[in-house]
Amino acid sequence: MMQPRRTSPLSPLVQAAPALPAAVLFFIGPGAAIVERSGVPLVVLAVVGALIGYVVFVAVAWLAWWRRTFWIDDDGDLRLDSGLIQRSARRLQLSRLQSVDIVAPLLARLAGLVEVRVEVAGAGDSRIILRYLTRSEADALRGLILQVTRAEASDDAPQSESLAHVPAGRLLAGLLLRSVTAGLLLATILLLVVTSLSQGPAGLVLVIITGGLPILSVVTEFLANYDFRVARTREGLRIRRGLLSTQSRTIPPDRVHAVSIVSPLLWRHWGWVRVTVTIAGVQGDEVRPDVLIPVAPREEALRLIAEVLPDVDVDALPFESAPSRARWRAPLTWRSLACAITPQVIATRSGRITLRTSIAPHARVQSVRVTQGPWERRFGLASVHADVAPGPVDVAARHLAEMDVAALAPREVDEMRRARLRG
Amino acid sequence: MDSSADAFAPPVAGWIPVSPRLATARRVTLLLVYVVVLAGGAVLALTPLSVVWLVVYVVLALAAFAWTWWIIGRRVRSFGYAEREGDLLVVSGILVRRLVIVPYGRMQMVDLRAGPIDRWLGISTVQLHTAAATTDATIPGLLPADAADLRDRLAARGEERTAGL
Repeated sequence: MMQPRRTSPLSPLVQAAPALPAAVLFFIGPGAAIVERSGVPLVVLAVVGALIGYVVFVAVAWLAWWRRTFWIDDDGDLRLDSGLIQRSARRLQLSRLQSVDIVAPLLARLAGLVEVRVEVAGAGDSRIILRYLTRSEADALRGLILQVTRAEASDDAPQSESLAHVPAGRLLAGLLLRSVTAGLLLATILLLVVTSLSQGPAGLVLVIITGGLPILSVVTEFLANYDFRVARTREGLRIRRGLLSTQSRTIPPDRVHAVSIVSPLLWRHWGWVRVTVTIAGVQGDEVRPDVLIPVAPREEALRLIAEVLPDVDVDALPFESAPSRARWRAPLTWRSLACAITPQVIATRSGRITLRTSIAPHARVQSVRVTQGPWERRFGLASVHADVAPGPVDVAARHLAEMDVAALAPREVDEMRRARLRG
Repeated sequence: MDSSADAFAPPVAGWIPVSPRLATARRVTLLLVYVVVLAGGAVLALTPLSVVWLVVYVVLALAAFAWTWWIIGRRVRSFGYAEREGDLLVVSGILVRRLVIVPYGRMQMVDLRAGPIDRWLGISTVQLHTAAATTDATIPGLLPADAADLRDRLAARGEERTAGL
């Protein structure tokens, strides 16, 4: 299927780079003693030391690189043989593929290289990270892996059609106007005003928190979601994003377990929404795509949702709302609380400042839970939850009339059974 | 369940209760906790605090003990489960009521476990796992034979229904 081969020969140079500062420190530390005797300037010592250290690390990395080969065998397994003294042979069953990611960390990108992460379902050693390949090698490898995974894959290169792109200005505005961020920034301004009026440093400690946290989160998310692009490929939706390190990830539509449309108060003027998704089987992975689109006009977002949840008309969900007595339990959000069940999905609505609509296909719902706290019981209310795989989406219809819940829960269980029968 | 307003209405076959030994197990745990609380009281008695505080401490501790003792009984009686044709139902809770419905086809794993106190009293816990972490289907206080039977039945049904996955 593919001959054993090595990663890019430039890899050792990149892999050894993080050793540079360590080498500098090492040669300055013990080197300080030498300086006193020989009179060699500290700068020269640091540079020479860094070079020597770098060369040593490159040599070690080069040996490891020489002994590391990967290939796809005839059984359709991805194999990786590595190790200098202790050899290790790793084998991933590509038939159980979860994801192929191409990530471009800053250092590697300077050398024009990317890293490929292949992950399969299963506990323990379920992933191989190849550091580093050229962009074209990585694309070819991903194509090959996806081809092996899908026996029916045809000859030509995957067609990709661009579906959405988030301009930097909209992303920044969206991030600044998220409810919590905007609230904290407002609090910061108020605190600054109060502090300057009262002429005391009382609020300054708080300002660090109320101002620092949102700025930190805005910067992080801006870097991660910069140049966010969604494209349709034969394998599913391809998401590409990031400023310092570009991440590319494919979401197969059949692994989407739930989506949530989030609309913060300050976005509604422009009609923007964010869409989060729960993808099954990916855990503890920073590349995990839990955002389908960070900020987009509603129509664009709905088009993306239609890609992963076909036959669902988000604007025509038959919502049953919470009764007005729910205001005693949820004085702020009671107007938005609702639940809808269609032949395909269960949908729930919640929130006031930030509105959320969560949708899960019946085939993905794992169990149904009904809960009732003392206050709910007092007003004849109850909540129904559709349990889905762990992720950012919570499908819960809270504080509905108990009578409605008594009908909704068994209906959802019926639909789940029917969805499973349909396959 | 057409027009019935009770979201926790029992299924046709009714709820199967769990063993009252579960209450004993939980009360044993409660007693162990109160050994520590009493030790705290003893320390308090050694300090030169007024007797009033000691009395307040003891009275509060005893009241909390009695209330917990009583509530354990009610909580244990609130547990119930039912095996229907396509799914398992588990109901629990007094202050916050919970009902979990797990279709057999969604089960990934059935856990059977028993801690030291449970083993000493002869009870075990059966827990169902699905792909969702929030599925909270735990049936404590089953007699070991019943628990093993239940686990085997559930596992068999799960296998039957996930075959087409």
